[in-house]
Parts: sequence; C-alpha cells; structure tokens
Amino acid sequence: MTPQPEMGLIQNILQFIGVFVSFSIAYVAYRGVRQTESSSLLRLATAFIFLGFGFLIEGLVGLANLVVLPISTTAVVVGGLLLETTGYFFLAFSHAVDVLISKKLGVALLVFPVITLTGTQLADVLSILSFYFVLYGVVETVYSYARTRKPDTLLIAMGLSLIGVGTFFQWLSLLYQYVGVLSLLQIILQEMGLLILFTPVLNFAVGGVKVNGSV
Amino acid sequence: MAQYRTQVRIIADVLSTAKDSNTEGTGVGVTTLLRKGNMSYTRMSKLLSELVGSGLLLELDGEKISKYMISQKGIQFLNAYYAFEDFAQSFGLRL
Repeated sequence: MTPQPEMGLIQNILQFIGVFVSFSIAYVAYRGVRQTESSSLLRLATAFIFLGFGFLIEGLVGLANLVVLPISTTAVVVGGLLLETTGYFFLAFSHAVDVLISKKLGVALLVFPVITLTGTQLADVLSILSFYFVLYGVVETVYSYARTRKPDTLLIAMGLSLIGVGTFFQWLSLLYQYVGVLSLLQIILQEMGLLILFTPVLNFAVGGVKVNGSV
Repeated sequence: MAQYRTQVRIIADVLSTAKDSNTEGTGVGVTTLLRKGNMSYTRMSKLLSELVGSGLLLELDGEKISKYMISQKGIQFLNAYYAFEDFAQSFGLRL
C-alpha cells in the first residue's frame, strides 16, 4: 500500500480536496438542520462529516509516509477506511429512511457481499461495503431524479457513480497491490465524483440565502 | 401513491398558504388553511398556536374568527426552507 512518491503526492492533494468538499457539504447540511430541523439533512451532514474525517486520516497517513514518518500502521489506515465506510453507510441510510417516509417502493439493493466476506482483510470488506452503500445511493438518487426531473439530482447521481466506481477500484487496489495505477485511478474517480457533489454547495452559496427564522 | 409529509414540510405548507392566499392583506382564515393544509381541525389549531408562539405567523383578531398572516420571520423561514429543500433534492432526498 505504499505508492511511488510522485503518485503519493498527487493522491494526498486529492485526498485533501475530498476533505474540503466533504466538510463544505456537511456545513451546508448542518446549517439546514439548524434552520429547518430536518432529519434528512442531519443524516446527510453526518455522512459527510464521517467521509471528511475518513479522507483526512487517509491523507495524513499518506503525508506522513511522504516525509518518511513511519506512522502508517494498518490500524490507522483501517480506521480511516472505517470512517469513510460509515459515511457511505449514512448516505445510503438517508435514502433508505427517505424510502420508508415517502412510502415509495425503493429499489432494495442492500445485497451483502457474501463473496468478499470469505477470509479477506478488514480493509477489503470495508471497501466493498462502501461500494454497495454508494451503489444503493446511486440507484435511489436516479429514482429521485425520475420523480423530480431536477438536473442537479442527475448530476449528483453521476458524481455518486464515479465515487462508486472509485470505491470498486479501491477494493481492487487492495486485492492487487502490485498494480499501482489502480489506487491512483481510484482516488481520481473518487475526487471527480466529490467535486461533482460540490455543485449544490456552489448553487447554495450563489443563491446567498439569509435566514434567521427557525421552527 | 400517498406520501407522508414531514413536520417541517407541513409547517412550510401552512406558511406558504398563509402567504399566497393572503391576497387582500387581511389575513387567511382557518378554513382556507384547513382546506389547503389537508389536516384535521384539532391538529391545525395546535400547529397554528405553535407557529404564532414561535413568531412565524401573526394572529389577527377578526370580528368573528381569527385570521392569520405570515410574519417577516415566517417569510425568512420559508425562503430558507425552499433553499434547503433544493439542496436536499439535489442529493435525491426530501426535507
């Protein structure tokens, strides 16, 4: 799991972009929670706080490797991945709860990855779990787009798809660690996806809503 | 298919009705709010007292019945609701 120095530097820069995007989305969602007391936004904020901290830990571990500080213990890496997976879980959970509240027939895609659970490392399991959670999020977001026909929703579905493919590559990169390009590909796809997720935050910032009222 | 409305959605619907139906500037009666809010009288009465208490609605004393008008704070809340609803919908979620 130790990439080449140049590749490692690019990966770290991309991880910190992910940290910024995740915390920005979490901040707007949290503002929404404070103003409207919406539980959907609370789950969204929670998801991106976990994702942000997950990326932060992974980025810091990578940075420590670059400056030759041998703190890259497996426990820390797995900790970062666990936070990331928890973030994706909350993202999927938001949709699952939305399905229950709206009584719509959501596409139940929470199929557990029986194949990968057989004797692989914890990191592998977390990666594939992330993939399934994101996949569920993609399906529900596309379903929501079919209902609302809102272009931003389709954009988010595309962003989540890229993140999903990224997490799949992450899993592959753990299985085939000698193929160095896999982890770079994974992070590029994930960050492209995250940057697309930043669109609603930009729209919100451009809208410039000034709010004081609360329930 | 029938869909459940969240509490915040119900509040936004009531405030929106109070804003849009107040064409003459004399406030909106409970009957109009009930018709467009799609809920029972008991539940609406409780909600109206809460909204008046929190300053989102203004209660105007009429000759026979009370009428309601959205306050400045209510308009701000409604604008915030629409902005955050848009944000949540982008992620495929509902407020």
